[in-house]
Amino acid sequence: MAPAADDVVLDPELQQSVILTKLEWLKDWGRRNALWPLQFGLACCAMEMMATAATKYDLDRFGAGVFRASARQSDLMIVAGTVTHKMAPRVRRLYDQMPDPKYVIAMGACVIGGGPYTRFGYHVVQGVDLVVPVDIYVPGCPPRPEALIDGFRKLQERIRVRGGKSLPPDDHLKNRERILAMSGS
Amino acid sequence: MSTPTPSEPQGSTLSGSAAGLAGAPGAPAPADPVTARAAKLLADRLPGAVLESSLSGRHPSLRIAPAHLVEACLLLRDDPDLRMDCLHLLSGVDWPAPTPTAPAGEMEVVYHLVSYARKPDAVTRRSPLKNDAFLVLRVRVPRSAPDVPSVMGVWAGADWHERETWDLLGIRFTGRPPLRRILLPEDWPGHPLRKDWEYPADYHGIPIIPPEGR
Repeated sequence: MAPAADDVVLDPELQQSVILTKLEWLKDWGRRNALWPLQFGLACCAMEMMATAATKYDLDRFGAGVFRASARQSDLMIVAGTVTHKMAPRVRRLYDQMPDPKYVIAMGACVIGGGPYTRFGYHVVQGVDLVVPVDIYVPGCPPRPEALIDGFRKLQERIRVRGGKSLPPDDHLKNRERILAMSGS
Repeated sequence: MSTPTPSEPQGSTLSGSAAGLAGAPGAPAPADPVTARAAKLLADRLPGAVLESSLSGRHPSLRIAPAHLVEACLLLRDDPDLRMDCLHLLSGVDWPAPTPTAPAGEMEVVYHLVSYARKPDAVTRRSPLKNDAFLVLRVRVPRSAPDVPSVMGVWAGADWHERETWDLLGIRFTGRPPLRRILLPEDWPGHPLRKDWEYPADYHGIPIIPPEGR
């Protein structure tokens, strides 16, 4: 039963047939149960993402099996695979094309912080959270489908608890301080 | 391990190195037949082309003078015995240590050639020269002027390999269509596989941690 709006007392007879709730709650309920991911993969993590969407793990159980080929129809960006400096502006452009509210899952070690390329890779962005705001981090190299599903469930939980508002589009800028602090050493 | 008698056939296609392992200790390793044949051909037809030859060991190769590279490659491709019809791989190496002729160090280009026309027989695993049909050429140029003649006219497939080598190492190939970047973005600063390449502070607004901070 949906949480009723405050200070409303309903006739007990009416409670049998009417649900009284906030419109925002209803919208968030719809959002978290019909997250349409953007269909794009950058490296090997995309294989696990495909496995997650396929029959055995069946991401469609959670309403997220509709991978959209257009950013304009997507709510969720699963960044699956190494983000190079050449690819980063394209990732940002796709993010900018997605309609609000939108969410980002950073999948795998490369996407979270550069992964195996952190030390010597000149070409890998050291965390996609320098490019787009990230809601959920799923560690692994690559993460198993169960891990991605877990991250996805955490995103749903987050929408349920905190509301469906997405992170501000410039939320990633705060992560630059982390990099600048490391550069100072 | 018993020492094979000379009459005993060598089953492996790597018969040269197998005989070397089984031979008496201290005996000179046998020369790689393909490399030896190529060295002889070049010595006959292009005196001065081969600057250095290492004919035995695990990685036999010939070092070619840059000025003679294209002619030497044409000879090796068209020679009826060798028929090196495919450029298997072209790669670059940065040697920053100073040498007498190049105080700023040297750049090297390595050519791996393979002969598909002469590849081992599918049943007997033997080729006419009783070895893998591979040949390695090396060319060294000073780091201050890394100009190497292009072999695109010999093997058209060298195109992308040369573009990649230029992209990552800055070795300039001459006598070919203009070099354009093939892997890195068009506006990338410098050639990152050079030993003296410096990390930029950021690229298009995305900060990069310098290696000492990692």
